[in-house]
Parts: sequence; C-alpha cells; structure tokens
Amino acid sequence: MPEGASRRVAVTGLGAVSSLGTGAHTFAQAIREGRSGVSPIRSFDASGFPYTFAGEVHDFEPERLLRRLRIDEWGRSSLFAASAARLALMDADIDPGQVSAARAGSAMGTTLGESAVIEALTSQWVHGGLKDLDPALVRQAPAGRIATAVNAELGLTGEAHTIATACSASNYTLGYAYDMVRTGEAEFMISGGADSVNRWEHAGFYRLGALAESVCRPFDTHRSGILTAEGGVALFLEPFEGAVARGARIYAEVLGYGVNCDARHPVAPDPTSIAECIRAAHRNAGVRPEDIDYICAHGTGTPTNDATEVKAVREVFGDALPPISSIKSMIGHTMGAASGFGALICCMALHDGFLPPTANVTETDPALGSGVDCVPGTGRAASPRIVQNHGFAFGGNNAITILGRAA
Amino acid sequence: MTTVTTVAPLVITGCGVVSPAGVGLEPLAAAVSGTGREEADLAAIGGEFPPMPLAATPDLRPEEYLGRKGIRSLDRTTQLALVASNRALAGLGAPLADRDRARTGVVIGTSTGSIRSSSEFSRETLVREKPYLVRASFFPNSVMNFCASQIAIWNALRGVNATIADGRVSGLAAVRYARNAIVQGHVDRALVGAVEELCPQSAWAWYLSGALTPAAAVGEGAAVFVVETSEGAAAAGRAPLAELLACEVGTLGMSDVRRGLTVCVERALRRSGVPAEAVTAVSLSATGLRGLGPAEEDGVRGALGDLPPHRMRTAALVGESFSASGALQIAGLLAEWRAGAAIGPVALVTSVGDDGNIGCLVVRRPAL
Repeated sequence: MPEGASRRVAVTGLGAVSSLGTGAHTFAQAIREGRSGVSPIRSFDASGFPYTFAGEVHDFEPERLLRRLRIDEWGRSSLFAASAARLALMDADIDPGQVSAARAGSAMGTTLGESAVIEALTSQWVHGGLKDLDPALVRQAPAGRIATAVNAELGLTGEAHTIATACSASNYTLGYAYDMVRTGEAEFMISGGADSVNRWEHAGFYRLGALAESVCRPFDTHRSGILTAEGGVALFLEPFEGAVARGARIYAEVLGYGVNCDARHPVAPDPTSIAECIRAAHRNAGVRPEDIDYICAHGTGTPTNDATEVKAVREVFGDALPPISSIKSMIGHTMGAASGFGALICCMALHDGFLPPTANVTETDPALGSGVDCVPGTGRAASPRIVQNHGFAFGGNNAITILGRAA
Repeated sequence: MTTVTTVAPLVITGCGVVSPAGVGLEPLAAAVSGTGREEADLAAIGGEFPPMPLAATPDLRPEEYLGRKGIRSLDRTTQLALVASNRALAGLGAPLADRDRARTGVVIGTSTGSIRSSSEFSRETLVREKPYLVRASFFPNSVMNFCASQIAIWNALRGVNATIADGRVSGLAAVRYARNAIVQGHVDRALVGAVEELCPQSAWAWYLSGALTPAAAVGEGAAVFVVETSEGAAAAGRAPLAELLACEVGTLGMSDVRRGLTVCVERALRRSGVPAEAVTAVSLSATGLRGLGPAEEDGVRGALGDLPPHRMRTAALVGESFSASGALQIAGLLAEWRAGAAIGPVALVTSVGDDGNIGCLVVRRPAL
C-alpha cells in the first residue's frame, strides 16, 4: 500500500464515562430524553464561589471498568480516558488480543490534562512548600499520561498521543486517528478525550464572565455561559472493509475533517476562520453543504460563541441551515472531551436515527437570525445521513469532523 | 493487514533553537566542542530551586526578537518557543507570503504546557481571599495550547495548530503528527518543535523523583523547525538543512524498553529505506536518567549490532529538558552538520520515557 493510499474508516465501538451515566447507550438515551447531568459541585470545596454547579461524574468507579491499570497510580483524567477506551473496545465486540497484536494506538484530547492532580500538588505547595510535593503524585501529573493510560489498559503498542488543543482536542484526535487507519499507518485506533472538573478552571471561566450560574442554555435569548464539566469518551476506529467482514456493528463512517487556526485572539472566536474550517472539512470529506443533515454545535452557551458559530455556519450554508444543537446544554462543557462526546452522539444519531436536542431552550435567540432549528427540548426522530461535528478552542484552534451513516 | 511502506522524505528548511547554550545553532555546536555552559541565571527565572545542577537559557531577551509589545504577559514556555519560531522563520531568507501563512501549521510538543503558569494560577484560588479572585488575563496561559496558538497569532499561521503532550517523546511525536498533516494535504508546511521551561515546580519534581543521575542537570529549551515537502522547498528556493525520514513512536517500551526500542529503530529504518549499516550517528535521549540511559543504548545496539561510530548526547550539554529533548536532539544534529563535524550523513534520533513511550526518527544530511 503506497503512502496516502486510502481505505474507508468505520466507527465500531463507543465508550462514555459521563455525568449522564456510563456507557454510550446509557449516555445517548439520556441525551435523547434531554436530561441534565448538572449538579452541585462535590469534587472541590466550591463554597467560596458565587456559582457552584458543574457536570461532574459522581458515580465513576474505575475499578469496575478497568482490567489492567492500577487505579492508585493514575490521575482522574487518565482513568476517565482508559475507562472510556475499555468500554469502546468492549462495545466493538472484537477480540482484544487481535487488537493488541496489531498496529494499534490511541490519540486522546484534553484541555487541562491531569488538572485534579496538579491541584493536589498545588495544595501541597501552598501548605508545605515545593519540597513537600509527593513524588508519587508528581509522576501522575504529565498530560501525556492520558493516552498512555489507554495504551496501557488495552495493551496497545502503537502511538499514544495526548493532543492538548484545548476544547477542540477530541476532534483533532478523531481526524488524526482517521488518517492513521485510512492510510494504513494503523490497523485500529482509539480516539477521544478526557478532562476533570477543577477549581482553577471554574475560577478562570467565572472571571472571564463565561460561566452560567446553574443552567446552560445554548442558542437561547437568555443564555449566560458555560458550565464546567468532566468525563471521558472514546471511539474505536477500524477499516470499514474489515468491519463488514467481521460482521461488526458499524455506527458510522468517518468521512473527513478540517482543522485550522484563527491566529488572531487567545479567547475571541472568528466566524470567517470557522467558516473556512467548515469548508476545509467539507472538501476533505468530499461533501457539499446541502449534504449535511445535522450540525452538532460547539454550542457552549456563551453569548459570543453561539452568535459567532451561527454566523460562521451561515457563511457556508446561506439561509438553508441544517438543524444545529448543543449537548453541552445537558452535560456542560467537558473541555477536551467535548467534541468527542459530540462525535459519539453523532455516531448514535446516524445509527439509531435521531437528532440530539438542545435542552433548556425557552426562546431561540432571534438575534441569531431566522431558520435556527436548535432541536429544543428532547431528541427528534430523524434519519440523518451525513452530520458535522464542531469543536472550537481558546487560541482559535478549530476542528470539524464529518461523519456518515454506514452504507 | 497493515503494510509497512517507505515514507517520502520531508525536509527542514529553517531552524530556531533556544537552549542553555544560547540562541541559535552556533552556541549549541560550541557546547558540543566543550566550551562549557554558563552558570544558570536563576534570578531571572525566579522562585526557589532545589539543590541540584540546573541549566537555564543565558540572558533570554525575547524583546530583541519579538519587540516589547505584548511579551510581558507571556510565560517562559511561550517566550522560548516564540523566539525559536522567530529564528526558524528568519532563517528562511524571504518571509512567507500571506497565502503561504494560511497554509502553514504549528505542531508543538509540551509536557503539560507551562506547569508554572497552571500551578500558579491554581495557587491563586487557594491563597486569595475568595477563590475566584484570579487574574482572568492569565487564564489562557494555564491552558496547554496557549504556546502553539501564540506562535500562530504572532506569525499569522492559520493552518493546523496542534499541541502534542507525549511526555519525553513529545518532540518526535510532533514530527510524526506534522508529517501526517503535511503529507495528507492539511497544510503545505509547519513549524514543528517542542519546548520546556525551567521552573521551580518541575525542578523540584525532578529532584524529588530521584530519576536523574547525580551529575545530570535539569534544563530547558525550545527548538522549532520549518518542515515541508522537498518539492515545496525546491519551488520556493529554500535549501534543505536536513531530510526527515521515518518517525516511529509508540508504547513499545511498556514491557521492555530495550526490546521495544530495537523494534522501533528497525521499523523506522525499514520505512526510511535505510539499511542499518548506513547509520553513521545516533543522538541518544536518556543520558541523565537512571536505568533508562543504558536501556536506550542497548535498544539501539539490538537494531544496529553496535552503537554507530558517532554518539551525541544533547542532554549532557543542555540538561534534561523532558518534552523538549527530542527537538533539541534534532537541533544538536543540525548544529554538528553545520559546524562540519565528521559524523556522517545518516543519524538516528531516539527518545525514551519512563512511561513506556519510545520513538526513533531517521535524519539524513542533504546531498551537497
């Protein structure tokens, strides 16, 4: 197979550890019902904060999910990632030995890496000094542990990339994993992401004025910001032909992706650059705007993001906007995992035939212009064929993936 | 079944390096020939350091390269990488046209971004009267992609913008990531490299870990390269400084670093179309790491029969720089070639981490 040779790529396994439950199907069912995973913060003392809600995973029991990792040696984000990857591999219903013997690896996205570990170390620094840092905890701090945990848990020997392009990171990993399988660099890849709720991020978003008090309502007239959130998500990718041959359940086909950078501002997004990213994704996937049946929005619920995002979509789609919704209304902003959860729900939507909703919408913001169908309330039965998944980030790091129904 | 094929070479046409040897390849080459390293200026960095050898970039003056505007709010990680990026682009001769900048990406290896920025930001939430009384303008610095996105902003580079946090192998992983982005047409070229800053947080981490040999210094640095296809370089009239052949990375070292590295080197050579006997030099990574250093050498021996005649140990010159190590090793190699050192035309750059991640990149001096 020459370099650049192309094979089709299927998603055949999905794994989720989320505030709406463990496992992709549990998660997707909750999303369809428009349920909320948001609750009062427990993972740190939030009493000094004006706003105290987040999308935390309260029932995370890694010891029930993981087979190889020693729980006490890994940070929370790594455990989220490895657990989601284990679930995705099980969901793919493939012989784990076949996967670990093949050229197989992982690419996992994150925004703040092992933030909970870094906060524990910071606490030791404040209370005793840097000389009092616990060496065992120090070992858990590097962000690269996240993808390494996936390879260690699944016994993979291929590449293990932790891609830290903040809140578009999971889409970066899906694009890269797709290229690896498509070109024959890898036989199997895990893509996804993980992040943990932490005090510093909560403080940072609050001070930026980007945090909602307790409800995230993207596209709504009265939207006020994000809710910080956490979790782990993983997609198992393999060659389409091989998936068909082994009779695998194919959730979706990865059709392509686009990535670019605004190169303008650390936190303010740029609609023209996002529109360019959408066009790049369409070119890469070989699709046209009229082929897109649904957009899984970045949809953070800040006034700026949603207005910018709809403006960018209009630049490409004109006034024929496909339905565009945000699952962040239910799980909050899971940061580096966010576009991974988006990709997962896109796969489920293509496979099971529905559009994910935007919860908490009472009035779609008229300032967004006409024709914005944000699927308010609960999921809608539909038969999307090709969908588009958005991920944007601080620094203007845009990444958009295109997924299609298996056919 | 995955087929192992030969990869097309990419070329380095620009190089910027900032290290405890100084700014540029010349001071790095001088360090190789043993002119010694300056005493680290820790006052310029600030904070309390552990009692151990340290290596810092002497007299880092980013304003000389970047101007004064907007640099004060940048952390040291970003300053180091911006200066290296500035030097890499300056080395191209003519500046990139605007349409070329739209097709230029940034791929930067990092351990955890600026760990100083994130832990100092986190500290504010504990020591302020209220936990939310943090300085919002410093929040983006605490996010790992800050450095790569600043490189894009300062240089108007609008292509793929990736931050690769693969621990010690980050530098080589960045090369591998960039190779895919370029070969698959997402960008025409990229600034590719890695960075690590010296700070009290990471120095204490090394000190308490006991992972370094007594003589090994904790270092820092950034190396950034302009990487593109040879056709692209030729069309633009840019002369290659080196060819990047195959770059293989993975967790092959989880069960056995020696055996894993042997497999990795063999695969990289096969995919480069280079026979083992053609390798004239190796740049080793784990020089100052207990246990890992000998295992790395054994792993290379396993693939080549013996170590090649010329061995380079960049970390012995500039200190242990964790995620920047692979990129600084590549810079060390370019420095040797530029200085006319007789190390032969084909080098391996190997990288090993204590987490099982390992890597091997094959680099070739362009034919004269």
